[in-house]
Amino acid sequence: MKHPDPLPLAAYAQTIELIYPKHLRERYQDQMLQTARDANGERTDSAVYFWAHLYTDLVRSSLQEHIRMFRNDLFARPIFFHTLTLALILTVWGLFAAMSIQGALRRSADQPQLRMAQDYAAVLASGSTVEDTFPKVHVDIEHSPEPFAIYYNSAGQPVAATGHISDTVPSPPSGVFEYLRTHPSDKFTWQPHRGLRIAAVMQRVDGSKPGFILVGRSLQATELETVTLRRATFVSWALLMCLLAAGAMYLDRAQRMGSTPLAT
Amino acid sequence: MSSQTPEHFLPLTPAVFAILLALSQGERHGYGIMKQAALPAGGEIKLGPGTLYGTLDRLMRDALVEETGFTDDERRRYYRLTGLGTRVLAAETSRLSAALKTARTRLAAEEVRA
Repeated sequence: MKHPDPLPLAAYAQTIELIYPKHLRERYQDQMLQTARDANGERTDSAVYFWAHLYTDLVRSSLQEHIRMFRNDLFARPIFFHTLTLALILTVWGLFAAMSIQGALRRSADQPQLRMAQDYAAVLASGSTVEDTFPKVHVDIEHSPEPFAIYYNSAGQPVAATGHISDTVPSPPSGVFEYLRTHPSDKFTWQPHRGLRIAAVMQRVDGSKPGFILVGRSLQATELETVTLRRATFVSWALLMCLLAAGAMYLDRAQRMGSTPLAT
Repeated sequence: MSSQTPEHFLPLTPAVFAILLALSQGERHGYGIMKQAALPAGGEIKLGPGTLYGTLDRLMRDALVEETGFTDDERRRYYRLTGLGTRVLAAETSRLSAALKTARTRLAAEEVRA
């Protein structure tokens, strides 16, 4: 009389059906089950350990065989190989384009500070008073997208300002002043505190009122544009990849069916 | 018949080496190979049926192993080494022996220094 297989073995058979690659399953399924049956009949390990090992092996080997099949398919069918190559080229190109646009956005955030810093420095160097040079405006640096200007004396102390953070005039790190003692100007991203980034341009002022002019502008709008750009790039890339995959599968299917859909 | 040299297949994975080693003693069915591979003399490799039959399939495609055609039950087929399979096993054994010899010499020199 033939005894029914124990439950784990019956479930093992079902798992083979579900996950083991078809070409191997068709050829070896009976042998695999017989081998598992034989091993179960002579097992010395606990049932839990024995079946855990068999299931782990089945899952791992199925995954490896599927990956191997995919790799073989990729190289056996030129359409998939060409599609993957094209996808890689488009991905690299897309990344390069996105990085270039992001760089251009950041560079454009330095305008109009570059020109303003030069103008302020030239006016102060020509002998104009600080009161006459700086307009009587108050820019809230944290919340306004408007550019602001701050004039520091040669010791790095603020003398006049159109921009404030909580009614105080911020100062950049001392290293910036040190750098400007030997260089005419500098541009950098300044982070006075967490969450606030500024596109800053600094210009050394020579002449009768030596010191430094800092003109800056919050980067909030630029950073929003950068986030939008990244999202748009990702969505476009994902759509393009889906289209490529769908096109490759369609062409592969058409080729295997012996028709040439592009021929008229 | 495969025209590839034994060296083309080297190095072997532990599972392939254990299967070829198990079959070097004569023809065996799947469970026989598994049992032999799990022994210390067989490499102590715990093969499961998934790994075993996937590997056997590739070994047969590479003509290192073949089915004998003999079966006492349709679900228990027997496998044996081909001539190429025997040469591949010999080549891998030589390769491992050379590496083992080097390792033993270096370890012995380390022990003397210590």
